This record gives sequence, C-alpha cells and structure tokens, in this order.
Amino acid sequence: MIARDLALAVWVSLKTSGLSAVIASAVAVPIALFLSGREFRGKKLVLLINQTWMAAPTVVIGLLFYSLLSRNGPLGGLGLLYTQTAMTVGQTFLILPLVVGFSYTALRQVDRRARQTALTLGASRRQAGWIVLREARFPLLVAVLAGFARAISEVGIAMMLGGNIRNATRNITTSIALETSKGEFRNGVILGALLLVITLGVNILVQTGLSGRDRES
Amino acid sequence: MSEAVYRLERLDFSYPASPARFSLALDALDVRAGAILALVGPNGAGKTTLLMLLAFLLRPGGGRLEFLGRDPWAEEDGAARARRDAVLLTHHPYLFKGTIADNVAFGLRLRKLPEAEIGGRVDSALSLVELDGRGRSPVSGLSAGQAQRVAIARALALRPRVLLADEPTANLDAALALRMEAVLREAGREWGTTVVFSTHAFAQASRLADDILYLSEGRRVEFSHENCFSGTAATDGRTSWIEPKQGVRITFPGAAKGHVTCVIDPAAIRVFAAGGGSAPPAGPNVFRGRVTRMETADAATALVRVSGDLVFRATLPVRELEARGVSLSGEVLLRFEPESVEVVSEQTAGAGKLP
Repeated sequence: MIARDLALAVWVSLKTSGLSAVIASAVAVPIALFLSGREFRGKKLVLLINQTWMAAPTVVIGLLFYSLLSRNGPLGGLGLLYTQTAMTVGQTFLILPLVVGFSYTALRQVDRRARQTALTLGASRRQAGWIVLREARFPLLVAVLAGFARAISEVGIAMMLGGNIRNATRNITTSIALETSKGEFRNGVILGALLLVITLGVNILVQTGLSGRDRES
Repeated sequence: MSEAVYRLERLDFSYPASPARFSLALDALDVRAGAILALVGPNGAGKTTLLMLLAFLLRPGGGRLEFLGRDPWAEEDGAARARRDAVLLTHHPYLFKGTIADNVAFGLRLRKLPEAEIGGRVDSALSLVELDGRGRSPVSGLSAGQAQRVAIARALALRPRVLLADEPTANLDAALALRMEAVLREAGREWGTTVVFSTHAFAQASRLADDILYLSEGRRVEFSHENCFSGTAATDGRTSWIEPKQGVRITFPGAAKGHVTCVIDPAAIRVFAAGGGSAPPAGPNVFRGRVTRMETADAATALVRVSGDLVFRATLPVRELEARGVSLSGEVLLRFEPESVEVVSEQTAGAGKLP
C-alpha cells in the first residue's frame, strides 16, 4: 500500500466522519435541548426509540440507505451510491441517536436554575437556550466527539454505501478490510494502529475539555 | 411614590402537577413605586410563587397582573420585556461558570452596555456587597453566603426598576444581613428601585419594609404567622381553648366550636425570667420556654423568640430586657390574657380555608 493511498484513506475517513459529526450535532443538539427542556406525552417513547436506534448495527443502516440510493431505489436518481456523500449521510444517521442521547444527558445535568436565572436577568428565551448550551459545553463536546469516534471506526456503512473505491471512497476501515482479505496483515495492523492513534487524539481532546471544565467549575 | 408598579386583580395561579394542589389567589394588590414590600409567611405560604409571578417566570392562571400600567402577558414578548425591568434574586442563586465579574456583568452584557460602563458597574456592585477586588476569582469554591452576595451584586448592577428577592439574607450572617438590608434600602433611595422581598422574619420585614403582605396557604391574611395557632376548640360555655399540642392549652373568651385559628399580638405577651425574684405568673396562658433569638424591631423595641412547648414571639421595650432578666438562652415564662387572643378563623366541618 503506497503512502498516497494511505493519506487519501485517512483524509476520506476524517472528512466523512468529521462532516457527519458536524451535521449530526447541528440536528441532535437542538433536539436534545427541546427534549431536555419540555415534558410531553410520548417523550418516553421518543427516548426509547432513540436508544434502540443507538444500538442499530451499522450494516442495517448501510442496507437501508443502500436500498434507498441504489439505481432502482426511490433516491437512485440522485446518483449518490458509492460516493463520499452517501457515506456521510449514512454515518450521520448512524451517529445521530448517539449524539442526541449524550447531549440529552448533558443538558439534563445542567442545573435547572441556569435557564431561569438567565431569563430573570433579561435574556430572551433563545438567549436562555444558548446559555444552557454554554453551561453544558464540555459534556456536549464529549457527545460530538463520541459521535465522531463512532463514525470513523465503523466499516459497514462505508463499505456498503462507499463501495471501497480506490482514491474515491476508500477510508481507513475499508482499507483494513481490504488489506486483511488480501492477506496483507501487516498493512492491516498499521492501518488499525493509525485508527487507534486518531481515536486517541479524539480522547485527548475530550480529556482536555473535561479538565478545562473541572478548572472552571 | 404613590404610583403602582404592579397592580394585581383577582390573580390566580396553581401548579398543574402539584400533588398538594397548592394555589395562590390574591384579590387585589398594588405595589407602590419606590416602596419596599415584604412578603411574610411560613413555608408553603406562596411567597416564592408570588415572586415568580411578579418576575414573569410563571404565567397567572387567571386575573390580571399589570406592570407599569400594561399587562405583559397580553402582549407579544411582553413578559420578556418586563423581565428586563423586574429582576428576581432567588433563594438559592445560580452562578454561571466563570468568574465573579463575569456573573455580575451577565445582565449588563445582555443589555449591550458599553464595556467601560460594565466595568464601572461591576466594580461598584461588588463594592456594595463587600467583594471589592474579587472580580477575577472563579465562582467555584464560593461559600453559600458569598454566592448570595455575588447574586445580589449581579442584580444590583442592573439598577432594575424592581428588585424581587426571595429571602435575600437567608445565607448571610447577622452582620452582613443587616448590611445587605441597608443596601436594599439604598437601592430604593438611589435608583428609585421598588423592592419586593420575602422573609420568614417578621422583625426583618418591619425593620425594612414600607408595606407588609402576610401570606398563608396562598392567601392574603391580615396577621403575621407569628403566634398563630390552630386546633379543635373545646368550650365550657364561658371560655374556650384549643390544644395546638396535646396538653398545651391556649384559652380565650367565648364559646367557640370547630377548627379555630387564633393569633396573639407579640406586644400582648409578657415575659418574665423563670426563677426570678418575683412570684411566677398564675392563671391560663402561661408558658415556659427558652429565649432562642433576640432581635431589635426598632431602636426601642426588642423582639424575642421563645421556644418551649410552643414557639412565641414577644416584643418588649429594650430598656426592660435587663430589668426583667431576659437574656439569650435564658429560661423565661410567658403570659398573656385570654382577651388578647384574637380568633381569626372558626370553621365547622366542611367549611373553607382561611380568608
């Protein structure tokens, strides 16, 4: 495996997983803010569905989107199958419930007086919502990074929706699968170690964030 | 001074999920501009609920709540606008993560004041609560009293038209509590701020407030909860009595029936040192207890709390404290005439609550 292939695989992994984490967070955090701040009928059911979705195997989500995006599927006309976009969409759906769940827990842990205090000091409802998010920024960062880590380490969606196309959709995990199937275990181990280094970097970021929180609170 | 900041008419509120079915109902209340109004009542009287309503954090279930001549709940974003003028200081204040100065500047930044003005206001507010030079300290590790002072500074820095304070001196020691009382009074004088605060301490209310609203079980009552007792009345035809505690009898004239609530004016209670030289008082309504608190209602009047089988508050001239041998932790005897017991409520089975 040449260095250029390796660099491209790393780039595809970082790009698709990073984008997935950003998109999922943009959707999940407002959902979590809504869920954490209100009580309504059916809320428990929503949380239950979210938890179930969290445990969905990656290949199931891959299969779902494969059937949607394949030529004969309802979205086949978009021509997205075997593209990085399809990988990003699939990974976004994979990590969305995880980010919702973690963010919901993070926001529930914010003291309920924070919002009320902001309101009584003159904040609008929207500003008060932002302030609650700010108070939970470090646990929310953990939620986003956990989503990223889940996306970058999955293989089912990347394989089914990306197709493991060289210089296009091949990422670290599909490269490991390929190298292993060719009997190139050494390359597979190197790629695996690389993935671990990236995951370690994510964890260091989380720890830095958390220790920052500890210093501040 | 006489213009009303708040005007409440048939205000009504109840918590939807309250298992105790607590409700607050006030027929009418005007809060005068620049005045200090104390809300006095026991736990569960509705003081905090009323403050939350006045802070537009709770929406009334019925009636009208006018603020500066308008009904904020009837206007779009009216409550949010009103909250900029009426700031609530809660009993257990929440401090945002960051420094003391960040917290004090919080509301000022929301109002987009120039940074130079924010700095000046933060410094002067911290000086008022005796936290000069502490602005850069993080809020983590502050004691409850210090957190309370930061919250007071945060509210005062806004120079609000109305300051609503839920037991603002609850976490402070006696000396600092007096200092904060002076600060609240000063805020009224300096910026024309109307202050509405809740307290359990009748002495604090009478020391600080221009007006006092007594609350009990979500209703306005015409007496303090101090020296307020209730029980099932028994009578011999000429006098009646209740036993707030088994074997402890409060006697009053007349034939009463059913559930009776009565109050005793603190000024009508005589206090004697137990074991003093003079003969112990005799007759009904004599109680023994220990002085657990002494305060001054004003320069000439002392307010003592006596805890025994029942807890009483009694006032007596400061100059007589020594002559009567009344001192903190000392054992005393209390006596009041049956005629000084005022029956404020007498309910037979099935009747409603207090007025």
